[in-house]
Amino acid sequence: MTTLVPTAPRGRSELLAQVRLLVRLHRPALILWAAFVVAASALLWAVGGPLTDASAAAWAEYNACTSQPCAYDQDAIIRYRDAYTYSTLALLAVPAVVAAWGGSALVGREVENGTARLAWTLGISPLRWLAVKLALPAVAVGVGTGLLAVFHRLAWSAGQGRIDSATSWYSTATYYANGPVVVALALAGLALGALAGLLWRRSLAALGTAPLGLLLLWGGLHLVAPYLWPSVTRNSSLSDFLPGAGINVSQGVVDSSGGRHDLVSGCGQIYDVAPCRAAYDKLDAVGFYHDYHPASHFWPLQLASTALLLIVAALLALAAFRLLKRRTASTRPEVRIAA
Amino acid sequence: MTNTAMEAVELGKKFGRRGKWGLRGCAFRLPAGCVCAVVGPNGAGKSTLLSLAAGLEAPTEGALKALGEQPGAVRARVGYVAQDKPLYPQLTVAETLRTGAELNPARWDADAAEQVVAGGDLDPRSRVRSLSGGQRTRVALALALAKRPELLLLDEPMADLDPLARHELMGLLMTRAAEHGTTVVMSSHVVAELDDVCDHLLVMRDGSVRLDGGTDDLLRSHTLAIGPADAADQPAPHAVVESRRTGRQLTALLRADEPAPEGWRSEQPSLEELLLAYLRAPQTPDAPSAPAETQEAAV
Repeated sequence: MTTLVPTAPRGRSELLAQVRLLVRLHRPALILWAAFVVAASALLWAVGGPLTDASAAAWAEYNACTSQPCAYDQDAIIRYRDAYTYSTLALLAVPAVVAAWGGSALVGREVENGTARLAWTLGISPLRWLAVKLALPAVAVGVGTGLLAVFHRLAWSAGQGRIDSATSWYSTATYYANGPVVVALALAGLALGALAGLLWRRSLAALGTAPLGLLLLWGGLHLVAPYLWPSVTRNSSLSDFLPGAGINVSQGVVDSSGGRHDLVSGCGQIYDVAPCRAAYDKLDAVGFYHDYHPASHFWPLQLASTALLLIVAALLALAAFRLLKRRTASTRPEVRIAA
Repeated sequence: MTNTAMEAVELGKKFGRRGKWGLRGCAFRLPAGCVCAVVGPNGAGKSTLLSLAAGLEAPTEGALKALGEQPGAVRARVGYVAQDKPLYPQLTVAETLRTGAELNPARWDADAAEQVVAGGDLDPRSRVRSLSGGQRTRVALALALAKRPELLLLDEPMADLDPLARHELMGLLMTRAAEHGTTVVMSSHVVAELDDVCDHLLVMRDGSVRLDGGTDDLLRSHTLAIGPADAADQPAPHAVVESRRTGRQLTALLRADEPAPEGWRSEQPSLEELLLAYLRAPQTPDAPSAPAETQEAAV
């Protein structure tokens, strides 16, 4: 009972205790997240199943029409479109919501009201405190978002070729929801939130800035992503429209010596109108060119973007660890104390 | 170094890059097993000192050791209760204590936690956010005490408690500390609350340590001299810590190595008189030569 307390190595049971504490503290968020994943999965199942079937049947009726007025189930087409749009948007909202939650409830609130310090005085070192706070939510967010991305892709592909109004693979929202990029964005959001929470030490400030930071990151990715993989070039004569459907990189006209010029504004791809013809002839244009990513580039682009985002997420997490370490400095270069 | 619980050399802490210094040039040494009161006005740096000792912040300059190590390396052996008693509001009292037990499986003393919480009329199932200030204090103290810390850092621990609870908990704290040989470092405004329990004093002002030593030694090394204010024979200025005039009478706290002038009445000051004199004195002269064990820490 006295001072003979065994100094057991602090290991697994303390780690488990920390995990249990995290689950206890964030039980409502965990339940909400699980419920969201289940509900969104159910919606995506419906989109890929009965809603696609009904919409495809309606399109088949519409395309078979020979007489006016044409009888087809327009409601089924609209139901499919709405359900698809809402489920895509719900999935794409996840990264920003994770950033907001990570900044406020997970880290900012604890730093603000002092419970982070309570945890550290209960024996959890600050760095391990942050490590567990990042690792467990990262697993939950990664698994949940990953499942939804898979379900989204399945739901999307069920409609391809059957529903005339189904979105193409390169439509922006569909592209981001259909692959691992959205998972990497959510993980980057978590790291960004943790960093914001530590940086501002205030829940509300982190709640405001972390999602904003995520949107900036997303915007930046959108600008650089087309250049992460070599694009394909197609050419056409001036009388044809630009060939190739996919993610645009650049387009314009080629002159007789192979030089590239921008499309003339106001004319675009129209050549056979007098003023445009004059403008393009002045450039010595002989055809249009189109640099773009065809459907076969979907995976290379997704994987390169994902890798880039994961690097950014790791750097953000590293910054958070360094900030915390500098503030609490469990290992400062020692200043000697004379005995 | 085993007989030193806490030691600081040239310790400084600045807030923000261009902020003001909360602590500067602090040097002291606390013997293991002492009950030390950290006394000083608001903003003196008491809380900063305690949170540095608990390894919650890094010093800007100098060094601080707790139990002979960097504070961050001995978290398991140090208990700390912050001034605002932070607790997880969404947990129940039972969950809070269970968390403490799970995080400190080798050291946890459930009886101690039970004993601290028992007097507070607390339902273990109630959420922490529904507790009164005094009840929160009990839960926070229970967490810190049940860790069986070798060094217990308490920042204004009794501020939210009524006098009865204050008395009860202070008694409990001191009994436990004595049983385990715990070093207790406690900051407080309330001098009366410290009088019976402290055997060591750390008086702080404007971010530095003004006085540091064993209570008895400090009291013995000072004299309260009372005499006529207009007397020709006045105490030597360098010996006066602080003096006050009431009517025609002058009361001066003197360092005991200087004799009181002829014809003056001299007596040993109370702890309160000693503290107030040091806290009031605008420019405290060097503290008197302190007892052996604190002398070497004075830089």
